[in-house]
Amino acid sequence: MEYVNPLTGFRLDGRRPNEMRQIRGEIGVVAKADGSALFEMGNTKVIAAVYGPREVRNKGQQINNQALVRCEYGMANFSTGDRRRKPKGDRRSTEISLVIRQTMEACILTHLMPHSQIDIFVQVLQADGGTRSACINAATLALADAGIPMRDIVTSCSAGYLCSTPLLDLNYVEDSAGGPDVTVGILAKMDKVTLLQMDAKLPMDIFENVMQLAIEGCKAVAHYIREVLLEHTKQLECHRGA
Amino acid sequence: MVGLSTGEKHFIHGGIAQDLRSDGRKRLHFRPISVETGVIPQANGSARVRLGATDVIVSIKAELGKPNSFQPDKGKVAIFIDCSPTAAPEFEGRGGEELSSELSVALERCFLGGKTGTGAGIDLSSLIVVEGKVCWDLYIDGLVISSDGNLLDALAAAIKVALSNTGIPKVNVDLGASPDDQPEVDVSDEEFLQFDTSGVPVVVTLTKVGRHYIVDATLEEESQMSSAVSVSVNRHGHICGLTKRGGAGLDPSVILDMISVAKHVSQNLISVLDSEIAAAEANADE
Repeated sequence: MEYVNPLTGFRLDGRRPNEMRQIRGEIGVVAKADGSALFEMGNTKVIAAVYGPREVRNKGQQINNQALVRCEYGMANFSTGDRRRKPKGDRRSTEISLVIRQTMEACILTHLMPHSQIDIFVQVLQADGGTRSACINAATLALADAGIPMRDIVTSCSAGYLCSTPLLDLNYVEDSAGGPDVTVGILAKMDKVTLLQMDAKLPMDIFENVMQLAIEGCKAVAHYIREVLLEHTKQLECHRGA
Repeated sequence: MVGLSTGEKHFIHGGIAQDLRSDGRKRLHFRPISVETGVIPQANGSARVRLGATDVIVSIKAELGKPNSFQPDKGKVAIFIDCSPTAAPEFEGRGGEELSSELSVALERCFLGGKTGTGAGIDLSSLIVVEGKVCWDLYIDGLVISSDGNLLDALAAAIKVALSNTGIPKVNVDLGASPDDQPEVDVSDEEFLQFDTSGVPVVVTLTKVGRHYIVDATLEEESQMSSAVSVSVNRHGHICGLTKRGGAGLDPSVILDMISVAKHVSQNLISVLDSEIAAAEANADE
């Protein structure tokens, strides 16, 4: 199948190989949560809600000098084309929960909140490839909305390699093509990689190109997230009557 | 949810007794409802309903299936509700299962009929394609994103709106040579039949706090309830389903009074929902 048209260079949905899908972020979608955000990357729509820092529920898991960070990833029944029977608890969801938790834990200043617990819940409303990345971006916005101290903004983006071309931000059709899928998460200002996952195989030099493309995507997302946070803060300032 | 102090509890009880609730509403007023249709593009029909801070999404998918041997002339409908942990941390893992199954069963009781399928709010015989062989299976999936009380009413309203947004694809049936053959069904991608929702009911939950009942309770008011009765009423004023929750006993005359109050309130709710559906459809057409 022609994932990249050899004559025009366009992908199946009309994008160029190094073009991301349209992204949109909105803060404060769940009123009852301490922090929440909606993040869309193309047709992938994800809601993240943060509850915390609060008292640890399970005393056995309490850490004396750090906050405990927990995360759960769930996909709605209607999020994929075919109806899913089990919204959460399957192996893929457990793995992605773990991945998001480790990524966010690396950037939260947990030593400032000992004996406490921070819960991050991510719910996928629509899945069209790149759910992992959308979840991490949504979680970053939700943590910022909750006012939880962080080292830096974590953003994530994926890239692949089909028809001898590195492609940025794969959608579901391109992802299921069987080519490699590299997901990268970076701390934006500090320019450090916190998450790196790949499946299928790639020669080393091509892998470097693909990873670099994904990092560029992450930086673009970070730029957008910073704008969203700035706009939100201006609105809060307005409501306070400053 | 954070616990309430004694002072706050007195405030809620006192306000309800004086017909002035904490957010300024009267006892029988609903919060402002906002409705969006077509939020899930890959589903046959979908809706998102916001009732104050309560936010729910319902999606309806239609798949071809075989009808039940006991009811060969009726299609099948299954309602499945999921409480997302984004609504409350208690719903993490399997914590939300109890509430989810309670809501699913209550909604099935309100919308679907008894065991033989008669008396359903949704007309099941309109879902049949070939009697005894092929029918439409409707899967109604609800997701609670944010909860501030009154989930049952919000979900029922969302189901009603989603049904009005649902398009069942037209099918061309090619019956096999002999009656035992499985007929060939060709599902059209172009044409859709709009679902008939004139008989679909709404649910009104009356929560008894102290000696008075309120409609559309928030999470704080629900924590003070002694019992609640959810009544499902359709456009003609007929009762389609009834659920009582809560441990406190109620005098039968009180229940009859609650049912008549619910009937009265539901007419207003139905007209508000109908105008919201029309507005949403007008927006979608633009």
